[in-house]
Amino acid sequence: MDLSDLERNNTGRCRLSSPVPAVCRKEPCVLGVDEAGRGPVLGPMVYAICYCPLSRLADLEALKVADSKTLSESERDRLFAKMKEDRDFVGWALDVLSPNLISTSMLGRVKYNLNSLSHDTAAGLVQYALDRSVKVTQVFVDTVGLPEKYQERLQQRFPGIEVTVKAKADALYPVVSAASICAKVARDQAVRSWQFVEKLQDVDADYGSGYPNDPKTKAWLKKHVEPIFGFPQFVRFSWRTAQSILEEEAEGVTWEDSLAEDQEGLRRITSYFLSEGPRPRLPHRYFQERGLESATTL
Amino acid sequence: MESGDEEATEKHRIHLRPATLRDAAPVTLHLLPCEILANRPAPVGRFFTPAIRQRPAGLEVSFRGRLLRGEKVMVPRGLAGYVMVMDEKAEVLERKYASRGSKNDDEKEQQERPEPMERDFDRFLRATASFASFHLWGLETVPGPDAKVRGALTWPSLAAAIHAQVPED
Repeated sequence: MDLSDLERNNTGRCRLSSPVPAVCRKEPCVLGVDEAGRGPVLGPMVYAICYCPLSRLADLEALKVADSKTLSESERDRLFAKMKEDRDFVGWALDVLSPNLISTSMLGRVKYNLNSLSHDTAAGLVQYALDRSVKVTQVFVDTVGLPEKYQERLQQRFPGIEVTVKAKADALYPVVSAASICAKVARDQAVRSWQFVEKLQDVDADYGSGYPNDPKTKAWLKKHVEPIFGFPQFVRFSWRTAQSILEEEAEGVTWEDSLAEDQEGLRRITSYFLSEGPRPRLPHRYFQERGLESATTL
Repeated sequence: MESGDEEATEKHRIHLRPATLRDAAPVTLHLLPCEILANRPAPVGRFFTPAIRQRPAGLEVSFRGRLLRGEKVMVPRGLAGYVMVMDEKAEVLERKYASRGSKNDDEKEQQERPEPMERDFDRFLRATASFASFHLWGLETVPGPDAKVRGALTWPSLAAAIHAQVPED
């Protein structure tokens, strides 16, 4: 898989795709959606779609695709290579969401949680297939959050398509299994060949599985804390594991939006009945608006 | 204002080491929309600078997993920017003794002279870098023309106008 676009810019999101097989524009198609790397505190999350004509579903099944989690890395690589060979009827597309994008979304002024980010990315990929004139008639999705709500949302967005959202869809529907293989192959490769944005000296490549409960991953995080900047962008700052390591080992940071919340806190009701004494004389509005204060000592 | 403050200003003088202004090398500065509760050098060149991206909407970077958007702000015409550092007392004394002769001469000298300009308890400011512009960063949005800092930079010219001598007619 050619991830050179991602390697050039891994601070945002990156879309990769196969050419659309001609038959997928003519015949009704089934499309599967799955993701890889949702849980880890390190590296990108990858969303993938895979599609083929309904008439060729048996051929896709014949590849013996299965839930990517039950396959070894070499088996996944082999299956992905096979799907490439079958490019006359199998198409795929990926959205790689960088850890920086995940952090900045989840830690935004208006919080954009991982579920919403996932749902929107999945819907974006289905739309992408439609925009490229793939004749999608059925969509199967591995669920994130409650399947009923997710299905309702997707069905509303794509009224002409039959949408099925299910837990463990990656084990139930071959087209979702195929998508899960694409996602996992891309995620593994992206993590392996990650280009650090920062100029780091001797980065330890042994970060374990990337899952927060893996002792190796935790040790890696602790080793790579920078007291001012925190972590390299490879780390999802919004993960609790990352946050608690920062609380312990990095300098405190106060943001302007967290200060505003404190000031807006309600006063005790009794405080309105007490005399406050003489109010301190505030500087002229000109200075207040510019954040200027007079200094008598340095 | 408390009287203690006045006393302190009275007693301490702050000297500027003029030679440091000449030697101050230009530096890139970043003003972030947050306070970092530490005061010491940080590896900006390794962690922050390489992560800055030029996007259609302006500059973009992230700090501690939060998105910052920024722009370049010029120091107003007629002003120059300097990064100033206050010398620690120990450093001041060290410099003093390093540049003087033996201790005996020193004592004699002090008896003869009234009060020297520079005293052991005075403090010294020194420029470590200079700048003609800096990067102003906002949390998720470009600070824009209404940014407080931009307003603050208009004060020197207004102050000069207010305090200028009014010609008597």
